[in-house]
Amino acid sequence: MSLFKTLRVKPWLPEEIVEPATSNDVLLTQEQIATTALHFLLAVITVIFFLFTITFLQRTQSFDFQALSGEPWLPFTNSGVLWQNTAYLFLASISIICAKKFAQQARLYALVITLSATSLFTLLFIIGQVQVWQQLSQAGFYIYSNPANSYYFLLTGVHALHIVGGVLALLSCIVVFAKGYAYPQLSYRLRLCGLYWHYLLGIWLLLFLLLTSDAETFKTIALICGF
Amino acid sequence: MTKITNIAIADQVDESTHPHSFMSKYIWSQDHKVIAIQYSITAIAVGLVALVLSGMMRLQLGFPNEFSFIDPSTYLQFVTMHGMIMVIYLLTALLLGGFGNYLIPLMVGARDMVFPYLNMLSYWTYLLAVIVLLSSFFVSGGPTGAGWTLYPPQAILSGTPGEHAGILLMLASLAIFIVAFTMGGLNYVTTILQARTKGMTLMRMPLTLWGIFVATILGLLAFPALLVSAIMMIFDKVLGTSFFMPAILSLGETLDHSGGSPILFQHLFWFFGHPEVYIVALPAFGMVSDVIAIHARKNIFGYRMMVWAIVAIGGLSFVVWAHHMYVSGMNPYFGFFFATTTLIIAIPTALKVYNWLLTLWRGNIHLTVPMLFAIGFIFTFTHGGLTGLMLGNVVIDLPLSDTYFVVAHFHMVMGVSPVMVLFAAIYHWFPLLTGRFLNTGLGKFHFWGTFLGTYAIYLPMHYLGFLGVPRRYYAMGPTEFIPESAQTLNASITVSAILVGLMQLVFIINVIWSTFKGKKSGRNPWQATSLEWQTATFPPGHGNWGKQLPQVYRWAYDYSVPKVKDDFIPQNISPDNVQYVTVEPNNDGRAK
Repeated sequence: MSLFKTLRVKPWLPEEIVEPATSNDVLLTQEQIATTALHFLLAVITVIFFLFTITFLQRTQSFDFQALSGEPWLPFTNSGVLWQNTAYLFLASISIICAKKFAQQARLYALVITLSATSLFTLLFIIGQVQVWQQLSQAGFYIYSNPANSYYFLLTGVHALHIVGGVLALLSCIVVFAKGYAYPQLSYRLRLCGLYWHYLLGIWLLLFLLLTSDAETFKTIALICGF
Repeated sequence: MTKITNIAIADQVDESTHPHSFMSKYIWSQDHKVIAIQYSITAIAVGLVALVLSGMMRLQLGFPNEFSFIDPSTYLQFVTMHGMIMVIYLLTALLLGGFGNYLIPLMVGARDMVFPYLNMLSYWTYLLAVIVLLSSFFVSGGPTGAGWTLYPPQAILSGTPGEHAGILLMLASLAIFIVAFTMGGLNYVTTILQARTKGMTLMRMPLTLWGIFVATILGLLAFPALLVSAIMMIFDKVLGTSFFMPAILSLGETLDHSGGSPILFQHLFWFFGHPEVYIVALPAFGMVSDVIAIHARKNIFGYRMMVWAIVAIGGLSFVVWAHHMYVSGMNPYFGFFFATTTLIIAIPTALKVYNWLLTLWRGNIHLTVPMLFAIGFIFTFTHGGLTGLMLGNVVIDLPLSDTYFVVAHFHMVMGVSPVMVLFAAIYHWFPLLTGRFLNTGLGKFHFWGTFLGTYAIYLPMHYLGFLGVPRRYYAMGPTEFIPESAQTLNASITVSAILVGLMQLVFIINVIWSTFKGKKSGRNPWQATSLEWQTATFPPGHGNWGKQLPQVYRWAYDYSVPKVKDDFIPQNISPDNVQYVTVEPNNDGRAK
């Protein structure tokens, strides 16, 4: 509603001129600025995955689409490896929350341990995803042999790239901290990294759900979406 | 928690951030003004390449088979590269990367963008995208000739020029450009939202900023569609997937693709492509509003409605994309829906045109060069917009879609119109960059040559379209339903196009000459109210403002305010400091 209120203001009226507006605090912190930018970045990433997902759902109804789950011989009928990867990403998300908390409390050793855990679990997630790609290829589920395979490689690849981007951001936080910055600066940066990690965990859960659904589920989703 | 003040909004300038060496000042610069100039020079340079390409296309169309270096393949490559460069690498980059970068911090009263380093990265990534794109001229097979829309399956099939490296370099370049735009775009929106100086409320911002702000949001949300389609097409080409590729027989050979949807690519492309029209148009709308108000010495008519219209156009631009796809076929109800939304978007657009005219109405119009270009824009945009209304209807679009009528329409609305505003803006803001005016005589010559010349190009092109002359064709050949005189018209269009092209050399000479020898402008030569003209030093130096950031007390359109001494009140003048006309009483005691 504040947007509509803003757009209704009449800036030319004398009463608007007499009192200088003070709606903006010039002492905005770096955190608020970075948070705004991150929200926009997440909106951009949301559009990317939304568009991929829409095209995927549409394609699930084509004659040559074979879901990767539902029959005993299909790779994700038993998706244990993917659950394991999900657990890694979940633990990375948890550990980054802890890291932020320890940064607020200025507890260096706990901070180092939790940040190491975040890096380790994230690395394990990416290694796990690469292993799934190798297993799929070894089992004859090549990227080009079926649209479901193509989308699996494409979506998980794009997701992994975003994770790598997050890791680079996290590393830059650590470098900045190591150069002698204070705990509060690290704390807000870790809060933003945490937001990014949770967001990518959410995206992964959605992808997991979609990519391991069986043909009947796709049919129902397509019916609801009108494809 | 410790408050850490961002450099962009720090009240006391941090002198340690001033660049000292040549490299940090002009090459790896993080100053938004230098980055803006880097963006602008690169965009104009690559735009000149596209201009030359269009000249060569016109040579072939006007005088078919006279030039041995233009064959059907090279013609299609010229078409493709001309279109893509002009839309993405020139207009988007110059309007947002160039003008956005230069004006946003100055107009909101900040010292710089909120992420200067990211801003610098944005430019260098953009430059990389340009280099990758232009490198396709030098690879085997040359650049892609798939048309600027890059429709599959033909874009990646044998027989299309640049089917190997050309198309891949184009797609890679687009992906890199989108990364660059995202870095820049995040900076623009965050700076406008978070780094405005005290008193600069959103509704006190000049319309230039509103146009750039909404266009950037459109770009951030629309470019991902192009990114997604580029990635999927690269997969189809390189990895053999079938996202867009149906089962297909190519040159007698059955390909391995199956089940992909070329129409899906069209939806993705135009989901980006139509907002792209407004990514270019909205900053132009904003800038022309400011130029008109300043040079007519009058407040902009209907400021709030202008803002609402920008926001409404931005929102509506996401629900009209399929009007580019009527000829691809669709459910009639969809056609009805998209025709309706297309006509609805004309309402806020027409409102803006009326408001520009009403701003001029009884204004103290100064026919300066920027004003001439701004008024020229109103003409060209109205003409281009009206033919857009025609083409928005399915029954009119179907017969005209593949003719020169469409070429004329989109060049008027998306080519000539934004370029007129760009020229208005360059002539208007040039003193801010250099402290000198561009030469007025050369400027007026440039304006009339460009304005009349573009009409000489595009008005006859509408007529050719009505005759049924098809677009994208290398040569018409003997076609029964097209009279021979159409070729004469084509030749006249080519002559006009070459003259208009040469006219731009006058502009470039003017810029180079005036940068060093132009008449000195002094501070705030147009007597404008907006903050960019009120800096501590002129032209503004690093950090933009002196020790204190400016404080804003009013909107940006206080022109010709009754009883005020000057005919403008800058935004940073407090009510106490406004000088009023002294009213001398008559002998009878009444005011004169």
